[in-house]
Amino acid sequence: MSGPQDIGIRNRGKSGPSSRYASSSGSPTDDLDDDHIAATHPRDRSSIEKLLETEEASVAVVATLTLMAFALRFYKINHPDQVVFDEVHFGKFAAHYISREYYFDVHPPLTKLLFGLTGWFVGFDGKFKFDNIGDSYTENHVPYVGMRAFPAILGSLTIPLVYAIMKESGYSTVVAAFSAILILFDNAHIAQSRLILLDAPLIFFMSVTIYCYIRFRKLRYREFSPEWWAWLLATGTFMACTWASKVNGILTVVTIGIAVLIDLWDILDIKKGHSMDFFWKHFMARSIGLILVPIVLYLWFFWIHFAVLTHSGPGDSFMSPQFQETIRDNEMLLNSLEIRYYDTITIKHKDTKVFLHSHPERYPLKYDDGRISSQGQQVTGYGHDDINNHWQVIPTKSLPETGRGRIVRNDDVVQLLHVSTQSLLMTHDVASPTMPTNEEFTTWPKDDHSRHNDTLFHLRIADSHAGASWKTKSGLFKLIHVPTKVAMWTFPGQLPDWAFNQQEVNGKKETADKSTIWYVDDVIDNADGEGQNKDQVVHKEPKSMNFFKKFAELQILMLQHNAGLTASHPYASGPFNWPFLISGISFWTQNEGQKQIYLIGNLAGWWACVIGVAIFIGILGADLLARRRGVEPIPESVRNRLWNSTGFFLLVWAVHYLPFFLMGRQLFLHHYLPSHLASALVAGSVFSFILSETINYPISIRGPSTRPKPATRADLGLKGPIILAIFVLILFSFYLYLAPLTYGTPGLTGEQVNAKRLLSSWTLHFAAKKTDYAA
Amino acid sequence: MKRSVPDSISLDFGTPEVSPRTSSDFEEIPYPPFTTASNQQYSSWAAPQRREEELPLHYMNEETARRRVHASRGPASTGFYDEKQDQYDDDGKDVYAKIRASKIPLSSGRPRRPPAPPATSIGEFIQQNLEHIPPIIYTLLSCWTRFHAIGKSPRVIWDEAHFGKFGSHYLKREFYFDVHPPLGKMIVGLAGLLSGYDGHFEFKSGENYPDNVPYVAMRVIMAMFGVALVPLGWYTAVELGMSWRACHLVALMVLLDVGWLVISRFILLDSMLLFFTFTTVFCFSKFHNQQYHSFSPDWWLWLAMTGFSIGCVASIKWVGLFVTALVGLYTIEDLWEKFGDLRMSARDQARHWGARIACLIVLPILVYMTSFKLHFLVLNHSGPGDAQMSSLFQANLVGNDFARAPLEVAVGSKVTIKNFGYGGGLLHSHVQSFPVGSKQQQVTCYHYKDENNDWTILPRWDEPPYDPEAPIRFLKDGDVIRLSHVSTTRNLHSHPIPAPVTKHHHEVSCYGNSTVGDNQDQWVVEVVDDIKLGKKSNVDKIHALTTRLRFRHQSLGCYLRAANSILPQWGFKQVEVTCDKEDNPGDTHTYWNIEGHVNPRLPAGEPRYYSSPFLRDFWHLNVAMMTSNNALIPDPDKEDILASKPYDWPFMHLGLRMCGWSDDQPKYYLLGTPVIWWGSTISLILSPIVLVVYLMRMQRRYVDMEPREWEHFLYVTKVAFVGWFLQYFPYLIMGRVTYVHHYLPTLYFAVLMLAHLLDHFVFTAKRLTERTKWIVFGVIAFTIFATFWWFRGLAFGIDGPINEHWGLGWRKSWNIYN
Repeated sequence: MSGPQDIGIRNRGKSGPSSRYASSSGSPTDDLDDDHIAATHPRDRSSIEKLLETEEASVAVVATLTLMAFALRFYKINHPDQVVFDEVHFGKFAAHYISREYYFDVHPPLTKLLFGLTGWFVGFDGKFKFDNIGDSYTENHVPYVGMRAFPAILGSLTIPLVYAIMKESGYSTVVAAFSAILILFDNAHIAQSRLILLDAPLIFFMSVTIYCYIRFRKLRYREFSPEWWAWLLATGTFMACTWASKVNGILTVVTIGIAVLIDLWDILDIKKGHSMDFFWKHFMARSIGLILVPIVLYLWFFWIHFAVLTHSGPGDSFMSPQFQETIRDNEMLLNSLEIRYYDTITIKHKDTKVFLHSHPERYPLKYDDGRISSQGQQVTGYGHDDINNHWQVIPTKSLPETGRGRIVRNDDVVQLLHVSTQSLLMTHDVASPTMPTNEEFTTWPKDDHSRHNDTLFHLRIADSHAGASWKTKSGLFKLIHVPTKVAMWTFPGQLPDWAFNQQEVNGKKETADKSTIWYVDDVIDNADGEGQNKDQVVHKEPKSMNFFKKFAELQILMLQHNAGLTASHPYASGPFNWPFLISGISFWTQNEGQKQIYLIGNLAGWWACVIGVAIFIGILGADLLARRRGVEPIPESVRNRLWNSTGFFLLVWAVHYLPFFLMGRQLFLHHYLPSHLASALVAGSVFSFILSETINYPISIRGPSTRPKPATRADLGLKGPIILAIFVLILFSFYLYLAPLTYGTPGLTGEQVNAKRLLSSWTLHFAAKKTDYAA
Repeated sequence: MKRSVPDSISLDFGTPEVSPRTSSDFEEIPYPPFTTASNQQYSSWAAPQRREEELPLHYMNEETARRRVHASRGPASTGFYDEKQDQYDDDGKDVYAKIRASKIPLSSGRPRRPPAPPATSIGEFIQQNLEHIPPIIYTLLSCWTRFHAIGKSPRVIWDEAHFGKFGSHYLKREFYFDVHPPLGKMIVGLAGLLSGYDGHFEFKSGENYPDNVPYVAMRVIMAMFGVALVPLGWYTAVELGMSWRACHLVALMVLLDVGWLVISRFILLDSMLLFFTFTTVFCFSKFHNQQYHSFSPDWWLWLAMTGFSIGCVASIKWVGLFVTALVGLYTIEDLWEKFGDLRMSARDQARHWGARIACLIVLPILVYMTSFKLHFLVLNHSGPGDAQMSSLFQANLVGNDFARAPLEVAVGSKVTIKNFGYGGGLLHSHVQSFPVGSKQQQVTCYHYKDENNDWTILPRWDEPPYDPEAPIRFLKDGDVIRLSHVSTTRNLHSHPIPAPVTKHHHEVSCYGNSTVGDNQDQWVVEVVDDIKLGKKSNVDKIHALTTRLRFRHQSLGCYLRAANSILPQWGFKQVEVTCDKEDNPGDTHTYWNIEGHVNPRLPAGEPRYYSSPFLRDFWHLNVAMMTSNNALIPDPDKEDILASKPYDWPFMHLGLRMCGWSDDQPKYYLLGTPVIWWGSTISLILSPIVLVVYLMRMQRRYVDMEPREWEHFLYVTKVAFVGWFLQYFPYLIMGRVTYVHHYLPTLYFAVLMLAHLLDHFVFTAKRLTERTKWIVFGVIAFTIFATFWWFRGLAFGIDGPINEHWGLGWRKSWNIYN
C-alpha cells in the first residue's frame, strides 16, 4: 500500500469530524471530489487489462469456467453406484414424494421436492428406500445418475454466478475469475455437488440471492423503476428458495435483512434530504419484496409438500392426532375407536412405547438404598403383548344403559381395573422404587373400598375440548391422580430383578411434562357388545385441517428436532476447525479396491480464503485505527468499495458462519460451504486490493438526477493474469492430488492413503499401519 | 426536605430547533451544559451543596486551585468547573477555545461536587450529611429483613449441605475438591471459626443442626453481605445520576425482593456473589464519574477497587466473571474514545492503558490467585479431594502416605496410576462392562480413592509368572509388562475397536484373568522424564511419584491416554480411557505416573519433601474445576425437579423449594417479588425499543434531549442493558444445569433498568407535575411493599401445612402448593 498519501490526508483541513459521515457512500451528492486517485482513465489502462475487460474476453472466460465446472462435477458421476452418506436421507425423501408417503424431516421441502421431481422425471418409481449407506443402485434399478445430475448442474452453475457477482461488484475479469476458480477447483464443493444432497442447491440459491441483491443495489439511483422492482422481487424469490432448501438458508435471509436495514437507515438520514414519505415508500417496497413475497413462497412450498404427501408414511407418528387424521390410510385414522366404559383396553406410553402392566408380584419391603415401599402389587411398563396389560375402564358416575352416554370423555374421573388380578390402579404418597421424588404406582383390591379415593384418576385428553370422546390411538391422554395431582409416567429406567427388569411406572409431579402422555393402543374386549365393528371403519376419508395449522405444527416440530440433533457423530466437528480444514467427513468406503469418498476441501484454496478474510479484517481494523488517529491511508472511493462491497461479502461470511458457534446440535464441515463461498468473494477483492489500488468506479447505474462522475477503471496490469495463472496451477494440482478422495476412485493403497493425508488430523480409511514400531 | 421547582429551570434549555452546542454559551450562561433537568432534580434532595457548586473557589486558596487545574489538565479533563478555570487561565487567547467549547465533555452520572469544608458544629455536620440519612434507614430496615427469625429452621437448608460442609473442611484443614473457587467457602469457614464452630458436622441435607453447631451465628455473618446490598444499591443509583425518587425505588427493590432476601439468609455463596457483583457495579460507576479527573487519587482508588471487586466476584463463583465483561466492554469503549483524542500525548495514552491493565487485569488475577494460595495454605491435610491433584501435591499433604511408599517400582508391585494431564484421574476399572464396542469390562479414569484403582505390575505372558520369591526385578524404560486389575484380576487390554466416545482411538478394556489372556494385554513402559532426576537419560529405575511414563500398546503401537472426555451414564460419568493411534510425544494426556505404591518386599521410602510449585497446582486445580463444571450437564436420565431453564427466569415461570415440604418444618421457597421481576423484565424489553425510537428521531434530527442528557441516558441504558445481557445470555448457550438462583445477579441490572426508565419517563420528565410524580412514585413503592409483604413468608419461613396459606400461587407453574 504505497498509496498516495497526499490524497489520504487531503480533506483533513476543512472538516475533521464530519469526514466520518462521508463514509456512507452512494448518495448522489457526496464523494464527487474524491476522484483524482491514482486511477486510471479508461484509456490509460494496460493493454492486457483492456483486452480482458472486453465483452468477448469476459464471455470467453466465463464460458471456459462453466465448461470446466460441468466437467469436474459430472466426471464419473455414476460412481459409486451405491448410496453415499446422507443420500440415505435425501434420496429416501425423494422416493417418498414419488410414492406420496408422508415423511418428517428437519429441513424445509423445496430441494427435496425438486429431487422428487427429478426422480420422477428420470423414471424413478420410488420403490427403493435408500435404507443403508452402500446399498447398490444398479441392483435396485434406480436412475440415480439423473437424480445426481440435478445438484451437479446447480453446483456447476454456481461458478458463473460467483464470477458474475464479482463482475457486477466492479472487479476485473482476473479478480472475478480468481474467486470463481476457488470454487471451481474445490474438492469439497465438487464432492457435495455430485451427490443427492441439499447443499449444492442451497449454495446455488444463496449465490443467486446475493447476485440479485447486488443488481438491485446498483439500481439505487433509479428507485421504483421496473428493473429495480424486478431485481427486488428476484432477491425475495431466491431468498425464499434458499430458506426453503435447508434450514441454514435462514442465514441468507438474515444477511439480506441486515444489509437492507443498513440501507434503510441511510435513507432515513436527514442529511440525504429525503422526506419521510419517501422513506416509507422504500420501506413498503422492501416489505413487499423481501418479507411478503418470500413468506408467501415459503408457505406455498409447504402447501405443495402437504398436497403431494397425502398417504400414510414413516412421518405420521411425529405428528399430532389431528394432523394424522388428514393422512390417507393412516393407522390412527383407520383404527381410531371411541372407548366406552367397561371396555377392556391396553395402554401404551407415547415416548417409550411400553404397555401399562401389572402382575401379582409385590414391591420388596425394603430397597437397596434403605427406603421402604408399600409392598403393594407392582405396576410396570412392559414392552410385549401380554394378558397382564389389560385394563378395564370403570366409571365413577352413573351411566345410561346404552347409547353415547357410555363413551368415556375428556375430564372424566375414572378407575382402571387390572383384569387378571381384579385390582384397581392407584398411587399414593410413597416414594417410587428408584426415584424418591416420584410417587409409587400400585394396585388395590377391587372390593376393598378403604382406599377408594386413591384409585381415582382424572382423564385429560391432550389438545382437546371438554367433553371430547376418548379414542384409541388418536386420543393422547394424561392420567392425573385426583388426590395427589401427579401424572402417571414412565421412563426408560429398568427396575431390578424383582420386577423382571421391566420399566418403572411412577407418579410425576410435573404434570405439564410431555413425557407423561399415554395413548390407548387397542380395545381388547368390548364389554357391552353393541360396539364398533372394526371392519367397518377401514374406508375412512381423511379429514381436512387448516393449512396454517398444519404448517405451524410442522415448523415447531422441525425446530425442536433440529435442536435435538445432539447425538455425537464420529465425523462431527466444531466450527473452529472448518476454515482451516482440520478434518473432513468420510462419506463412503468400499473395502474392495480400497475406495473411499472423503469430504475435504482444496487445502490451498481454503487457506487462501482464510488468509483473504484475515487480511481483510486486518485492513478494516488498521483503517479504523488510523482514522481514529486522523490518518486516512486509503483513498475515499477505494475505502467505500472495501467497506460497502467487500464488507457485504464479509457479512455474508460471518452470518453464515458465526451462528454455528452458538448451536448445540451436531455440526459438520459441509455447514461451512456457504461461508466458504463468501470467503472466496472476500479473497477475490483482497486479491484485487493488494495488486492495485485502482477500482472500477462508479458501478452503480446512473439515475435521472445523479450528477455525472468521472469514471475510473481498475487496472491490474500484467501481474494480475500471471498471478492468476500461478494460482490456477496450484489449485489444480491440489485438486488433482485429492481427487481420488473426492470421486471415490481410483482405489488407493495404504501408503497412498497416508500420502494423501495432508494434515495429520484427517481420519482417512485404509491408512497403512506404521511399521516402525520396534517390539 | 425542600425541593426546588424544576419547571422554572427546564425553560432554560432550549427549544429543539436551537443547537445547544454554540460556542458562546459560556459567555451568556454561567454554567452552560451543566444545569440539566436531571441534575437539578438530583441536587434538589441534596440542597445544601448548591451554593458551593456555584463558588467552587471559596474553600481553597488560589495555589490549591491552580494545582488542581494543572493536575486535571489531561486533554479530556474538562469538568465543569475546571472548564471555567481554564478560561480564566487562557483568558481568551486559546485558539482552540471555540472548538473545545463545542467538545464540552458530556459527563454523565453523578455530578462531581467539591468536598465540603470541615464541619464546625454538629448541626452543620448533620446538614452536610443529610443525604446519607435515607441509606442509613434502609440499611437498618435491611438488617431487620435479613436477620428476622434467621434461625427459625434448625435444619440444613438446600445447598448449606455443600457449602457448610466445605466450610467445615477449612476448619478441619482437609483438602477437598469443588467446582467453585475457594474465596466464598473460605469466608464460610471464617464465619464458622468466628462463631466457634469446630468443623465436625457433616451438613447432611435436611438434618437438624446439633447443639454445638452455631448455625445462627454463621447465617448472620453470611446475611451481612445481604444487608450490604441495600446501601450499595442506593449509592450505585446515586452514582448513576438518578433522581432521588429513582434512588429510593432502587433501594426499595433491593430491600424488598424476596429472592435476594431468601438467598441471603442461609449459609450459601450467593449472598457473597451478589455482594461483590453489587460492589463491582458501584465501584465502576464511581470510577466513571471520575473520568475527567484522570490519575487523581480518587480515580486510582475507584479503578483499583473495581479491579479488586472483580477479583473477589470471580473468586466466589466463576459466573461472577460475566459482570467483568461489562467493565471490559466499557473500558474498551473508553480507551477507543481516548485513542481518538489527538490532543492526548502518547505518554498519557500509555498511562491510561497501563492503569487499566494493572487494575483491571493484573489486580483481579492476583486476588484470584491469592485466594487459591490461601486455600492451599489452609488445607494442608489429606482429605476427600486429594485425587484431583497431582501426585506430588498429594505427597505434601499431612496424613498422606505416598512419600512413605517404596521409591523404586518393581514387577509385582501393587500400584495406582495417575494421569499426568491437567485434571487427570487414576486409572480405574470396575466390573461393569461396556454396552458398546467389545462389551468387555470398562476401564476409566476416576478422581476418588477406591480400591478399584489398584493394579499389579506383572511380567509378559511368555515369561514365567511372577514369583514372589525370585530376585526383585525393578522396572526400567522399555520393559514390557502386563497390568492386572487387583479386584477383578483382569488385564489392561486394548484392541482395534473404536473407543466409545473418541471413536478414532482404540478402545481400552479389561480382559481375561490371571491365566487367560493374549499379547494384546502387554504394554511397553516408556519413560518420558523424571521431575526430580531430570532428563530421561538420568532415569535408570522408575520412581514412584516423580517419573513420568507413557504406556505403549505392544502390538498396536498406540498410547494409553485419558483426556477428560466423559463417558455417558453407563460409565458413571467417569473419564474415558483410550489408546491413541497417534504418537504425540508432547501430549501430557498420555503421561502417567505411579502414585500409590505397595510392595512389602521393598523398604519403605524416606518421608521426603517433594515440592510442588504453586502455579502448577493452581493451574491444575483450575483445569480440574473446569472439567467437572463441564460435566454438570443436564442428565436426561435423571429427572431434576429443581432445575430450570434460563428463559423461565425473567417472568418467573418457576420457583424452587429450598427444603422439605412437610407440615412440621418452616418452608422456604426461592421466588422473587413478582412485581419487581415482571416490571424489570418489561423495562428490559422496552429499553431497546425506546433506544431505537430515539435513534431514529435523531437520524431525522429531532432534538429530544440535549447532548449531555442524551449521553447520560445512553450511558445508564448501556450499563443496565449490556450488564443484564452479559449476565443472562451465557446461560442460554451454556450446556450445564441451571437453576433459578443463577438469575439473581442478573436481576440487579434489570432493576436498574426499571428505575432508569421510570426516572427518564416520569421522575425527570419536564411535562409532568410534581403531583403526578408523587402519585406514580407512591403507587409503585406501595405495590412493591405490598407484594413483598404478601410473599414475605417465602423468605421468613412458612409454618404449618402449606395449603392453608392462601393466595401465593400467582402462577400455575409455581409448585408452592402440594
